[in-house]
Amino acid sequence: MRFVTIIALLWCAIPRSVLAQDEDSLRIDVKGFVDTYHAVRTESPNDWMSSRSRVRGEVTLEKGHAGAFVSANLIYNAILKDRTGLQLREAYAYYSDDHWDVRAGRQIITWGVADALRLTDIISPMDYTEFLAQDYDDIRIPVGGLRLRYSREKWNLEAVAIPVSSFFDLPTDDKNPWSVGQIPIGNEPKHKAYNMEYGGRLSFFLSGIDFSFSALHTWNKQPVLCNGVGEYHRMTMLGADMSVPVGKFVVRSEVAEYLDELQIGGSRAASTYALLGLDWYAGNDWTLSAQYAHKYVAQGEHRNTGLSTLRISKDLLHNTLALQTFAYIDVTNGSVFNRLSADYALNDQLHAILGYDYFHADSGMFAIYKKNSELWVKLKYSF
Amino acid sequence: MKKIVLVLAACMLAASEMSAQQLTGRDVIQKVKDRPDGDTRYGEMELTLKKKNGSTRQRKVTSWAMDEGKDTKKMMFFTYPGDVKGTGFLTWDYDQIGKEDAKWLYLPAMKKTRRISGSSSKTDYFMGTDFTYDDMGQRHVDEDKHKLLREETRNGHKCWVVESVPVDKHEIYSRKVTWIRQDCLIADHVEYYDKLNKLHRVLDIQDVKKIQGFWTIQKMEMKNVQTEHSTTIVVKNSQYNVKVDKALFTVAKLEKGL
Repeated sequence: MRFVTIIALLWCAIPRSVLAQDEDSLRIDVKGFVDTYHAVRTESPNDWMSSRSRVRGEVTLEKGHAGAFVSANLIYNAILKDRTGLQLREAYAYYSDDHWDVRAGRQIITWGVADALRLTDIISPMDYTEFLAQDYDDIRIPVGGLRLRYSREKWNLEAVAIPVSSFFDLPTDDKNPWSVGQIPIGNEPKHKAYNMEYGGRLSFFLSGIDFSFSALHTWNKQPVLCNGVGEYHRMTMLGADMSVPVGKFVVRSEVAEYLDELQIGGSRAASTYALLGLDWYAGNDWTLSAQYAHKYVAQGEHRNTGLSTLRISKDLLHNTLALQTFAYIDVTNGSVFNRLSADYALNDQLHAILGYDYFHADSGMFAIYKKNSELWVKLKYSF
Repeated sequence: MKKIVLVLAACMLAASEMSAQQLTGRDVIQKVKDRPDGDTRYGEMELTLKKKNGSTRQRKVTSWAMDEGKDTKKMMFFTYPGDVKGTGFLTWDYDQIGKEDAKWLYLPAMKKTRRISGSSSKTDYFMGTDFTYDDMGQRHVDEDKHKLLREETRNGHKCWVVESVPVDKHEIYSRKVTWIRQDCLIADHVEYYDKLNKLHRVLDIQDVKKIQGFWTIQKMEMKNVQTEHSTTIVVKNSQYNVKVDKALFTVAKLEKGL
C-alpha cells in the first residue's frame, strides 16, 4: 500500500489538468497542495506549538462507471517527529451510475448538518493530535468499510458497513504541546465480524426542506475513562437532522440518541443530543452562523452540558481576502476557543494565511489548553 | 396568383409592423427569456478577473442545465484554481415568483453538502467576479418593470433598448438599460445604474455564435466603471440537447463530483 501511495504522490507532482475524455476512456484527475504551517505560543514560554510541512496528493482514476480514489500526505513535522512520513488518508474503489453509488475501502463518511460538531456524524472519528487547532477537514480520520447509496431525484438511502473501525487519535505524548497527559488507553476492539459497525441513513431533499433519519450500531470512538483506563464499548445511535432555508437564513437542526453509551466510571446510560443552528447569508459576502448543542445524560451528577459555536466570515477585494472567526463556546463552564484567520490569495495557486487561536478557559473542556493561545502562519500552494 | 401573393405579403408586413409598434418592454424581455436554448445544456466557462492595475486571476467552471417545464435545474463544478477545484453548486431554479430556489453547496475538503439560502446570494457577486449570481442565471421577467425606450442600431445590430427597474428595492441596481439584438434576442450591451442612479457596471457581449442552431454567447465582459475592476467570461465547448439524465441534478451526484 505504501508503494501505491508513493506512486500516487509522485504522480501528483506532475501538474496537469483533467484529462477528460469520452465516457469509455480512462480519466485521470489529479489535485492537491503543498503547505507549510507554523504556530508559536503567545504566552510564556513562547515555544513552537506546531511546525509542519506537507504535500497532499489526490488522484482519481475513472473508466466508465467505475473508479478509484487515493488521497495521501507526505509530512515533515518538526515538533512531533513520529508524525513525519507518509500518511494514507483515503483509498477506495467505487462504482457509480445514475442511481447506485458503491464505495469500498478507506474513506471519510460524513453525516448530519451540524457545523464542526458531532451528533449523528460519528462514523469518522477525530484526530486530536493538535486538538481543534487544525483545519476541520484535516481532523477527520477515515474508516475502512463499505458504503452503498441508492439515490432518486428527491431522496437517497445509504447503508454503511464498517468492519475496520477507527478511533480518536488523542495527544498523550508529553512532548506534544497539546498533550492531555499520559492516559492509558485500553485495547481497541478486535477486527472481528461481530465488532463491525453498521447502519443507514435515509435522506430527503425537497424544495423547501432537507431532512434525514439515521441509525448506527457503533462504538464510543473517543475512549471513556473507566477506573483510570480509556475504554471502548458498543452503543447505538438513532438520529435525525433537517435544514430549512427561510429567505436569507437557513435553520439547521439535529438530534441524536446514544443508547447504552459508556459513561465516565464505567456505567452505561442513554445520552440525548440536540442542536439548533442558524446560518445567515447576509449578502455582500458576509456569512454568519451560530449553533447551540445540548447534551443530556440520563444519569450522573452533571446531566446537562451545552456547547455553542459562532462563525463569522467576510470576503473582501473580490474574494482575494477572506476573514473568518470561528469560536467554540463551552456554555456550561463559560470557556472559549476562538480561531481567527485572514486568508490572502497571492495568486490563483498561492495563499498566505495568518491566524490566532485564542483560549479563554478557567474550567471545562478548554481549561487544559488555557495557556495554548497561539499565533500561526500558513502558506498553501494548490494544484 | 402573383398579385394575391404580393397582397398577402403586404398584409403580413403591415401586421408585423403593427405588432412591433405595440411591442412592450416586457414583451421584448419575455422574447429574450423564451429564446430557444435546447432542453439541456453543457458548457465550460473561463472567468478572468482583472484589477485596475492589470493583474488577473482566473476561475474555471463546468456546468450542466436541464429544463423541467418552466423550471431549470443546474449543476456546476469548479475545475480551477486548485483550492476550489471540485466545489459544486446544485440549483433548482423555480419560475414561480415568490418560490425560493433550492440550492446546495458541496465542499470537497469537508466532504459535506450544505443547504444554502435560495434567495440571498442572487445579489451577491459570483466568486469575486463582477457578475452577480442573478447575472449568471435568469431573472424572472416580472422581477423588473420593463419599458421599451427606443430602437437603435449598435455595433451594426438592430437593437431594442429596454429599461428595467427592479420591483424589489433591495436589488443592487436601481435600473438597467439593455440593448437587445433583434436578430438573435441576446443583449449586446447592458448598463447597470446604482442606487444614486450613477453608472455602476457595463456588460458587453463580444462574441455570439450559432451552435447546433442555437444562438450562444461565446465571450462577454462585465466592467465595474466605478472601481475599474472587470471580469471576462469565455464560454467553451457549448453543447445543446446533451444526453443527461435528471439523476445528474441530485445531491448524490453533487457529492460524487465531476
